Amino acid sequence: MGRAGIRSHLRSIRTPTPTPTRPLPFILPPPVKYDFLDSAVLSRLGALPIEARLAMIGNVAGKHRSPHRGSSVEFAEYRKYVPGDDTRRLDWKAYARSDRHYIKEFEADTNLRAYFVVDCSGSMKYASGEHDQKIQFARKFAATMAYLLVDQGDSAGLSCCDESIHLELPPSRRPAHLQNFFDVLSTLEPKGETGLVDALHTVAEKVGQRALIFIISDLFCDPQSFGDALQHLRYRKHDVAVFHLMDPQEINFDFTRPYRFVDLEDNTTIVAEPNLIAEEYDQAIREFLATVETKCHDVHADYHLVTSDQNYEEVLRDFLTTRLPKKGAR
Amino acid sequence: MTFLQQTMLWGLFAVSIPVIIHLLNRRRFRTVEWGAMQFLLKATRESRGKKRLKHILILLMRSLAIAALIFAIARPLVGGFLGWGGGSVETVILILDRSSSMERSEKDIQLSKRTSVLERVTEAMAELGEARLVLIDSATGIAQEVPSPDVLPELSFTAPTDSAADIPGMLVSALDYIQEAKPGRSEIWVASDLQREDWALDDSRWDAFRANLDGLDFNVKLRVLALNGRERNDFAIRVLSSRREAGEFVLDLELAREQDTGPTTKAVTISHLGARSATQVSFNGQSQRFQKRIPLEGAPGAGHGWVSIPDNANSRNNVSYYAYGKEAPVHAYLVTENATSSDALEALTKGLAPGFANQEVTVRQPSQAHQINFDSASLIVWKAPLPKPPVSNQLFEFVEKGGVTLFFPPEEDSDASFGGISWDPITQSPPDKFFIVDDWDHADGAFRDALGGAPLPLERIRAIKRRGLVGDFISLARWDDEEPLLARRVIGQGQVLFLSTLPDYTWSNFERTALHLVLLQRSFDDGNRRLGAGFFGVAGEDSAIPQGDEIRDRVDSYAEGDAGNVAYEAGVYRFGERTVAVNRPVGEDSIEMLTTAQLDAALLDTDYSLLEDKSSSSESFFSEAWRAFLIAMLLFLIIEALLCLQPKRVDTSTAPSPEPTS
Repeated sequence: MGRAGIRSHLRSIRTPTPTPTRPLPFILPPPVKYDFLDSAVLSRLGALPIEARLAMIGNVAGKHRSPHRGSSVEFAEYRKYVPGDDTRRLDWKAYARSDRHYIKEFEADTNLRAYFVVDCSGSMKYASGEHDQKIQFARKFAATMAYLLVDQGDSAGLSCCDESIHLELPPSRRPAHLQNFFDVLSTLEPKGETGLVDALHTVAEKVGQRALIFIISDLFCDPQSFGDALQHLRYRKHDVAVFHLMDPQEINFDFTRPYRFVDLEDNTTIVAEPNLIAEEYDQAIREFLATVETKCHDVHADYHLVTSDQNYEEVLRDFLTTRLPKKGAR
Repeated sequence: MTFLQQTMLWGLFAVSIPVIIHLLNRRRFRTVEWGAMQFLLKATRESRGKKRLKHILILLMRSLAIAALIFAIARPLVGGFLGWGGGSVETVILILDRSSSMERSEKDIQLSKRTSVLERVTEAMAELGEARLVLIDSATGIAQEVPSPDVLPELSFTAPTDSAADIPGMLVSALDYIQEAKPGRSEIWVASDLQREDWALDDSRWDAFRANLDGLDFNVKLRVLALNGRERNDFAIRVLSSRREAGEFVLDLELAREQDTGPTTKAVTISHLGARSATQVSFNGQSQRFQKRIPLEGAPGAGHGWVSIPDNANSRNNVSYYAYGKEAPVHAYLVTENATSSDALEALTKGLAPGFANQEVTVRQPSQAHQINFDSASLIVWKAPLPKPPVSNQLFEFVEKGGVTLFFPPEEDSDASFGGISWDPITQSPPDKFFIVDDWDHADGAFRDALGGAPLPLERIRAIKRRGLVGDFISLARWDDEEPLLARRVIGQGQVLFLSTLPDYTWSNFERTALHLVLLQRSFDDGNRRLGAGFFGVAGEDSAIPQGDEIRDRVDSYAEGDAGNVAYEAGVYRFGERTVAVNRPVGEDSIEMLTTAQLDAALLDTDYSLLEDKSSSSESFFSEAWRAFLIAMLLFLIIEALLCLQPKRVDTSTAPSPEPTS
């Protein structure tokens, strides 16, 4: 299905209102019946391509670099002619210059498989004050990114994990796939303990070809095990981007009176006086953030600490902008 | 501690408010669902010890701040005397020492100890509000209620006197008053300079006081304000004795000071029969005795006068008065046995009447002793076996009235005794050896040092015979084997003296040393004092009180005197036909102060409180300390605020900022 097909499909699932402030350059106004999708944001971010940092292996032609030789206009290399090669690919000018037969090879462009691993453990339900729940932030992020990926011809898949992976959508670049994608996101209900590490190992094993893996989680798991899972993904040559979602209160711990804290994951209860433990809590959370960031950098994964009081559009724009290829690089 | 608003102390229960609020807060927690539980658990595990201590300190500071505020509102009194350990008082019994030593002031512009203590008692009573004040002053010793503490300094019962203070007597009076009037919760305040003479520690009434105080049905608090500071050097003058001597009037004077600050001179003014003369007296040491001779120019009549020094720390001991009667001979009787050698008899006779015009001696046999005119006798010298009744009874009565009897060892043994003292048999010194004098009293007795301080040459005495003594006596001089040379027994107002050897060459070399002359003349002087005592009185004692229909009239020109306290003031008074020089008691010039240990012993088991006010300043007994408590409250609150301050978070290289990245 070409770009026109996507537009027509999106048109079929969109609701009549509201009309975006300005028409999208490539696609029709996005569906807006989901509270985690904002057509205005989609239209503003639509101009920015999503780039993979590693060569991808897709199943169709696309705009991403492939490890294989193909038929793009980008020259790759010369190689000696061997019997059986297509004689149409002989470089006659090189033959004229060197009296040898060379085959001129070009880069192959392929599409991108993106895989969203969304943490649905109970802790993702936390929200302080007027801020969104972390899971809502994850929905906005994943939905917007999936839309943009499919819009540029790439495929997007989804794995939702709590104690284990309980929802999974294989990657697809069909516009109709987005409907399922959004439906799954809208039905996500955070509960239970986190099984993110196991889920990442499962994804690493399951996704056979190179892919761009988005991890959207508060990472409330053992940092060492998380680091091992990242190593696993990296070993499978996946491009990994980690979006570490935290509520501002989880970092600042600005409680002023005694509270009974009930664990969102396993209902453990503790009565604590924040004044007495604020310093130790601050120390612990700093160590945790530092460790997680180190683990991500060890495997060259993108690490983004995102708090739920941030504008997700800005977060996405910054992410996409930093991934834009440098001038002359390919 | 005493509080003026004691009911406010119930507010101390409010110190529990911070703790209660804390506990309530702990119970009134809110529930919040929380995601980052692993960090919370870790923080809770690590938050122990120091943090908990800090939290307890914060609670403590809050409670202390409230307590300090309550104390400040309750208006605490501090200052030692009324400060700690007090409470509400219904009756205060003030025992006021208004003896002459209490007129001492430590600085030129400062009030006397008596005045300052009165002012401060007035202030203290005003603060205590409704408490009644009962005054027992040292002069009258009578308990009397003071209608208003404000008039206390103006009462004649609190005015200065020259009399002594009988502290144990006043304490007993205070207890008598309490037992009789049952004045409720009472406190006895003793304001005194702790002069040892006034406190009479050996007095048996101390035991009675302690027992009675312990036996009271209700608690009586005893507080002692000791005004025992002695910053200034005080000088005092006193007439020791006076007598006519060869047309002159001889005054034996004593100039004393508290601290020996080296040689100095003091101007001494003598006013004799209104005629004043001044002289400079060189002064070294702590006290100096000297004589002033005033020519009488043949005037045989009576007279009086005073001796004074310039004003210093205590104005009450800067003057001493004297008076004397018409010229009359002084008489001594020598009772001697037949066996007395002529040498001894001559030595004694010449010693008693060496040629002074007014001295007469009459020699009697023991059998004629009843003919002695005891009323006119100044001295009786008894060189015979000790008398037996009825002569011994007459002699005993003579001594009791102030007479002096000097006994010499008789040649014959006798089993008689006088005043519980009897002679031992004669003892001889070993061949070629003598009895020599080893030690004698240089300050008291007939062998005391001369007025100029020179000691008598008793060490030159050699004796080969002597009689020992048996009985209860005080040795004023001792032989080298500790046997007495001169023994004294005080009986009533007089004294009996026993010399254990004779001024006879068969006994000793007393005659050659002429020390027997000193002994006889000094004993004569002591005996004369009995006759002259009619011209001297002691303020506050019977000798200074008119008898019968006598009317008191002050005749000296030194001071006007206080009409309300005339019975307790020194001066020269005419009591009808008599003229009496009334002086302060000798003990008032004493510098011996009661030590804390002695006070503890005197007031053993009485739970008294002592405030030593050495400066004798006019500051109040106490001061309100609410400001201090307010400051303390502020301090507690500041400490609490500092403890509540969260320490500044320090970024470390291993702990990056938790600011989100994008």
